[in-house]
Amino acid sequence: MSGPAVLTRQLRRRFGETEAVAGIDLEVAPGEVFGFLGPNGAGKTTTVRMLCTLLPVSGGTALVAGHDVATEPSAVRHKIGVALQEAGLDPLQTGRELLELQAGLYRVPAPRDRAAELLSLVGLSEAADRRVKGYSGGMKRRLDLATALVHAPEVLFLDEPTTGLDVTSRITVWDEVRRINAEGTTIFLTTQYLEEADQLCDRLAIIDGGRLVAEGTPDGLKSALGADVVTIGLGRGGTKEALRQAVSTVAGVDHVVDTEGGVAAYVTNGAAAVPLVVRALDEAGVEVGTVSISRPSLDDVFLASTGRSLEEGAA
Amino acid sequence: MNEVVLLSRRAVREIWKLPAATLPTLFIPLFFLAVNIGQVSKTFNSDNAPFLFGQDYVAFAVPVSLVFAVSTATSGLALVTDIDLGYFDKLLVAPIRRTSIVLGRLAADFVRGLATASLVLALGLAFGMRIASGVGGAVLIVLLSALWGVAYAGIGQAIALKTRNVQTTNASFIVFFPLLFLTPNFVPFELLAEPMQTLARLNPVSYVIEGLRSLVLEGFVLADIAACLGVIVASGTVLTLLSLRVLANYDRD
Repeated sequence: MSGPAVLTRQLRRRFGETEAVAGIDLEVAPGEVFGFLGPNGAGKTTTVRMLCTLLPVSGGTALVAGHDVATEPSAVRHKIGVALQEAGLDPLQTGRELLELQAGLYRVPAPRDRAAELLSLVGLSEAADRRVKGYSGGMKRRLDLATALVHAPEVLFLDEPTTGLDVTSRITVWDEVRRINAEGTTIFLTTQYLEEADQLCDRLAIIDGGRLVAEGTPDGLKSALGADVVTIGLGRGGTKEALRQAVSTVAGVDHVVDTEGGVAAYVTNGAAAVPLVVRALDEAGVEVGTVSISRPSLDDVFLASTGRSLEEGAA
Repeated sequence: MNEVVLLSRRAVREIWKLPAATLPTLFIPLFFLAVNIGQVSKTFNSDNAPFLFGQDYVAFAVPVSLVFAVSTATSGLALVTDIDLGYFDKLLVAPIRRTSIVLGRLAADFVRGLATASLVLALGLAFGMRIASGVGGAVLIVLLSALWGVAYAGIGQAIALKTRNVQTTNASFIVFFPLLFLTPNFVPFELLAEPMQTLARLNPVSYVIEGLRSLVLEGFVLADIAACLGVIVASGTVLTLLSLRVLANYDRD
């Protein structure tokens, strides 16, 4: 594949008066695992559905594997694999029947052999001849992944592939995603799980309210916030405004954002900043509930970009 | 063509994997057959009713049951279930012609129609009905019934694709009542009172029933068979094109 695996310019989608995707520019390189992170309703699924040719674009352009989703949908469909948020499986078919049908629809040579190969790859050989309705959530998700891979797609879209799965199943899916990517498939992954984005993605973009609010590598986005995060919980009787004001005056504090129960201060050296922060609050007469130091997380990136915590939204 | 065959195979497999979707559709036709014979067979018999052509009333009633048996919303319900489960999206994103999704379902309707029509016909024979057109006529009756089932399926498919709602698609059986009851289902056209007679003559389904009935009671009456086939082809074409049109606009809704 020459050129980006996914390229969008001012991509938009309206539903009546609501602009679900409000002009986003994305560029995903071939071979990348690209994370698309955001809370429920941020525009992740709408973007993926446009890129998969399931939803017409309202404005802008989108190229997938070099083909325009609006004018060359058929060419795009040959190049992509899709596993949407809810595993789209037919419960009456067996895993083997489903994969053989899928391989046939994509005109894969020897569909039976390909189905057997994929069943073995995702660890479902033993359950291959059971109806899908008897599969567990994790098994369904792995089968869904397998159906998206029958034709060895150049770009694989995974829309919240681990939502609703237990930890063990989630880790199995992660391993599968890494394996698929190692074979050269570009992966466009939406998620609302920060750990998932951290674990899997080479690069990610954060979307909120239909707009991109941050983009970069997970480490790059975190380090851009500063070396440490000092989180201060408000004690009884204090106001967040007074807390924010007092913390902002401390030397070494890069910037301060509100959290649910207080503020988070982004500092160059957490250990050195804590005594100064406590003294400043004491002098300002602001009662402190808790103080903690941590390295910036992707949630801090989200918080700094949007003023809200993604983990609270996803919980 | 390959994709139509693949999707047909899947849809046909569903018939025996989910018998609960087909068996209830036999209840209404068999119930009406039993009720009609029980209530009317003494009123109309071969001695006093020339329209029975010397047979018992069962021979007059079986063609109606055949049409009832194959006029179902089963494939519409199967489509809307695929939509509900997300499998439909998987088909839409596959590099296949979208028409194959609808045509694959219709192939299963044809197979289901062959099976249910054969069963109803066999039941009629067990009740003493004779087929005036012989074995060839019996085969034609089953074929025409199954083809009518395919034509009628377009209603359920169009509703399923437009509404994407299981309840609404299920409720499409309401269409069944005016179409199948404003017909000469109990007595011939001539014995229907006005305005029922005019309504029945305007209803194309009447000619499907009359065509099947002529094969049972009279033999090969070409005019009746041609009218029956004409209605099936015309309504099948219109309703299938309607489904395909709704599917073509599916993304825009």
